[in-house]
Amino acid sequence: MKNKVYLLIGCLLLALSACTSVKPWERGVLAKKEMAWQLDPMESKLQSHIYFAKEGSSGGGQAAGGGCGCN
Amino acid sequence: MSKYKIDASKGKKSAALLALSSAAMLLPALSNNALADAPPENIELAYRYSNYQEEATDAAKTFGPNSSGLSSSVDRYNIEINQFRLLLPVGDKYSLAVDLQTEALSGASPWFTGSADGKTKLVMSGASIKEDREDIAANFRFYASEGNAGISLSRSNENDYVSNAFSLDGSYNINEKHTTLSAGLSFSDDTIEPTQGLIPVEIIKESKNSTSLFVGVGQVINKNAILQAGLSYTRLSGYLTDPYKYRDQRPGDRQQWAWSLGYRQYISSADAALQADYRFYNDDWGINSHTLSLAWYQNVKEYLKIIPYARYYTQQEADFFSNNARLNDAYFADDFRLSTYGAFTTGLRVEADYKSWTFIVSGEFYDSDSRYGISNSNEESPGLVSYGRYTFGVNYTFK
Repeated sequence: MKNKVYLLIGCLLLALSACTSVKPWERGVLAKKEMAWQLDPMESKLQSHIYFAKEGSSGGGQAAGGGCGCN
Repeated sequence: MSKYKIDASKGKKSAALLALSSAAMLLPALSNNALADAPPENIELAYRYSNYQEEATDAAKTFGPNSSGLSSSVDRYNIEINQFRLLLPVGDKYSLAVDLQTEALSGASPWFTGSADGKTKLVMSGASIKEDREDIAANFRFYASEGNAGISLSRSNENDYVSNAFSLDGSYNINEKHTTLSAGLSFSDDTIEPTQGLIPVEIIKESKNSTSLFVGVGQVINKNAILQAGLSYTRLSGYLTDPYKYRDQRPGDRQQWAWSLGYRQYISSADAALQADYRFYNDDWGINSHTLSLAWYQNVKEYLKIIPYARYYTQQEADFFSNNARLNDAYFADDFRLSTYGAFTTGLRVEADYKSWTFIVSGEFYDSDSRYGISNSNEESPGLVSYGRYTFGVNYTFK
């Protein structure tokens, strides 16, 4: 478990070390729809809901949506 | 009529159990877009129709009517889902989003597992279960150049289950907007009143609640790549047992942790983007899981996008999972959701824009099996599910 956390932190640091300064006028690509964390909030909500209903784990911040009841 | 005949409504057990907590689901994603600290410019309306169909369970895995008098139905859930969304700019710093979702479910689900002749099989609930669910959620959001903050309220209603949830979230940009810090907090308060059938349900009315916390950080790597990492903690307490499952008895407390990573890489030579997400999950019921999702967002024409995607999921069973009732143990569940297994999802989404309209078609197939898991399964649950889903959608922006 601990090793996994260290590995995760290591990967993050490695990734961040590769960061470059991106000026506001260079951010056109980052604003594109394909760079969004959620492609479609409605579909994400439904998918998360189904996984929540059919699998043993949930959470993680990739879900946005409310309520439960189910499939 | 057999004395064992189950009230059709029994089967909607899943409705209840599934609803274990809604707080976790309310937690916002990290700010959805690296640059989205501005309210929507126009009013947007959206609609989705989805059909979810579970594969019938192999008859060899169920006990038939001749042996027990119970339904031999192996048809599992079919659900029709309608989703409506209204996104409204309010002034130049706020937005209001209202989501309404209705579901109509029919079919059967596993009631319990049992063994005969050395084989573990399912006994299904009665056939022709019918149930509806309505879910309404509202999110009000404030935007500033430094970030945004939102408040959400939601309510989900079934005839045997009601969930009310509330959440707060915010994100704050630092490091010349190269880094975004996010946090969220949510609560839910759920009440279950199981439908009483011929087979007794042991409770009349119970409640459960959950609290979730989320923290995350997003980072611009370069002009074509972003990364995010998050950690969430959820505590569930109250009646976490599934009242519709025979002999099901679960602890009254559950603590869940999830670490998530997300990455988006734009590939200009292909005019496409790679979307990768990973989650590690761990809880004090003994379940660990890994989830890896990949999508390829391909711009075909300015108005046409094709997005194939895949997801792999693997989990290790809960400490008290078994196919055979452990009557001397404090806790026991034979729910397939708590077993060791793995699952693959493969899907395709197509989006087409025409003037103020966007049309969406998507479809996916989910297949789970104990052999797909990375952990060795001591006991394969006969209840593991496979399903197909398709969705038709349309968005309209008032310009």
